[in-house]
Amino acid sequence: MSATTATATQFKRAAAAKAADLHHRGVIQKAISTYDAAVARGKTRFADWENARAHAAAIKWETINHLDRYLEQFERNVLANGGHVFWAETAEDARQHVLALARRHGVQKVVKSKSMTTEEIHLNDALETAGIKTIETDLGEYICQMRGEPPYHIVTPVMHLTKADIAQTFYEKLGTPLTDNAEELTMIARARLRHEFMAADMGITGANFAIADTGMVALTENEGNARLSFSLPRIHVAIAGIEKLIPRVEDLALFWPVLSTSGTGQALTAYSSLIGGPRQPGEADGPQEFHVILLDNGRTRLLADAEQRDALHCIRCGACLNACPIYKNVGGYTYATTYQGPIGSVITPHLRDAHDWSHLSYASSLCGACTEACPVRIDLHHHLLHNRRNSVRRRFDQPIQRLVFQAWLWAMQSPTRFAVAGKFARFAIRLGWANSLAKPWTDGRELPEPPDQSFHEWWGEHG
Amino acid sequence: MNPARENILNRVEAALRIQAHRPSPPSTAPIFPAVTNPETRFREEFIALKGELIDNAETLREFLKPFTRIATDDTELVRRTTGEGNASTRDCDLGVTGCDCLIAQTGSVVVSTHSAGGRALSVLPPAHLVIARRNQIVTDLAAAMALLRQRYDGRWPSALSIITGPSRTADIEKILVFGAHGPKRLVVYLGD
Repeated sequence: MSATTATATQFKRAAAAKAADLHHRGVIQKAISTYDAAVARGKTRFADWENARAHAAAIKWETINHLDRYLEQFERNVLANGGHVFWAETAEDARQHVLALARRHGVQKVVKSKSMTTEEIHLNDALETAGIKTIETDLGEYICQMRGEPPYHIVTPVMHLTKADIAQTFYEKLGTPLTDNAEELTMIARARLRHEFMAADMGITGANFAIADTGMVALTENEGNARLSFSLPRIHVAIAGIEKLIPRVEDLALFWPVLSTSGTGQALTAYSSLIGGPRQPGEADGPQEFHVILLDNGRTRLLADAEQRDALHCIRCGACLNACPIYKNVGGYTYATTYQGPIGSVITPHLRDAHDWSHLSYASSLCGACTEACPVRIDLHHHLLHNRRNSVRRRFDQPIQRLVFQAWLWAMQSPTRFAVAGKFARFAIRLGWANSLAKPWTDGRELPEPPDQSFHEWWGEHG
Repeated sequence: MNPARENILNRVEAALRIQAHRPSPPSTAPIFPAVTNPETRFREEFIALKGELIDNAETLREFLKPFTRIATDDTELVRRTTGEGNASTRDCDLGVTGCDCLIAQTGSVVVSTHSAGGRALSVLPPAHLVIARRNQIVTDLAAAMALLRQRYDGRWPSALSIITGPSRTADIEKILVFGAHGPKRLVVYLGD
């Protein structure tokens, strides 16, 4: 592992602490087992879940591999609907554009619905710094914002918290009485946020899908906060990664149920919405302006890697996080990235910096549970291997690691050398010469007693 | 002119010059089991989602009694069924709207700015009553999308929502709570 980077050292330290935190483990296991049961039930609603995955993968492949065409078509249709499109090469470009829009329209208050893309570009900090009050309205995100923490999970932001933790946060930040009732907590948030919706000048949402042939963005949610965010304020801004495109509005008859099923186990979430512009003549209400920001921020780098291009098929359902034995043990915060779990480990080295983030690809048992869970069939665990290979090719590993692997390769290439190496290793372990080398392993476990002879020798005597 | 557009499109085009491995094509078998009895299926699914179903005029009158501030859209069907509203969307205890269609497969209600009096009326009030007719039930989501395409192609409403049960959240310990931000009660009146 490229353990020399600060990010890798931090990962190891956080992972060791979280893996030994039994309270954390209990909370996560309870949440994920509830999720697992719901998803298993949800999949039975399909005639054949595997066929649904194959269709979803095929449509995403078609879109991503002709992305220029679909982006241009999408833009044309948004403009025809009376909306605006802004192309942002970097997070900074996207932030500056939102700030410019807010200033131009005298925006003082922004309501936001859950969007990982806005987390990726750290939009809230930029708005708050500019003196614009910004309120997260998804219940989980509202709790995160109050606590000053990022989302723990791309779909379930406060998966790691108990009712008691959340009641304590409300008590400290809002002065509401302590309660262990989830409904009471939800109603407190509803009442408070209602005022914010009424007063907000701008609503900011993400986009689960961007539909090329109608110029619409699709939003998936359960609470109604996204609908309020694009219904009440004067301006609606939707921020979408360029990979969010799908060709036709009819494709949602597949993608909405697939995303809901993999995300929460629901057949459809409570609200699946399509927004195709500002208020039109004859409509009762709606924003005066509709803006879509198409964000690159490293996505074209991933697109250029044909081997891993399918990682751009991701619909951010969170299934690979929930399936991952590493995620369940080290938790979401250990990754220190916007996108956690297997998909985060695959894409972060491309979106950010390969040197600083390749260590994440080693945080995997390569069991393949992520690949099996992925509803759009991204070859996740092979991409973790590709990232490891790429990081060695680019010499992000340590010289000592290269030396050890070269020695290992040399020994493995000849039966005689292999036998001698084995004999030496058994001897060395018994004399304790390997203790310092094995320390990372023996810190948490015991080293097994080496056998007296190799299997090959034993077979020679008994076979 | 912002050069970002050309830069991004040029990078996309350059990236795509190298071909990616194409997955094997999916089978043509149906993705969802066929819906055989749409009305029965709609009732089952809608009630399982904690929706409230009303299917005669008398029950509708009883349901409406406790509501004093009602906001309605201005469609003919709603006016005929519940009469004119007496409150604004922001200040009502019940929002009454029409819909584009109902989906049997998922127990959903499809609303748009055209069919449901704009954007807020079907999400802001604490309760939402949908006035629908039995012949508005379509079999599945694909049929609903086909119907919307046929109805709106070229001139789509600026916003549409597929409503599947009352507003909900499970953000706190995966415990299901209704009425997170949208209506706590979702009621469908199914008339002829």
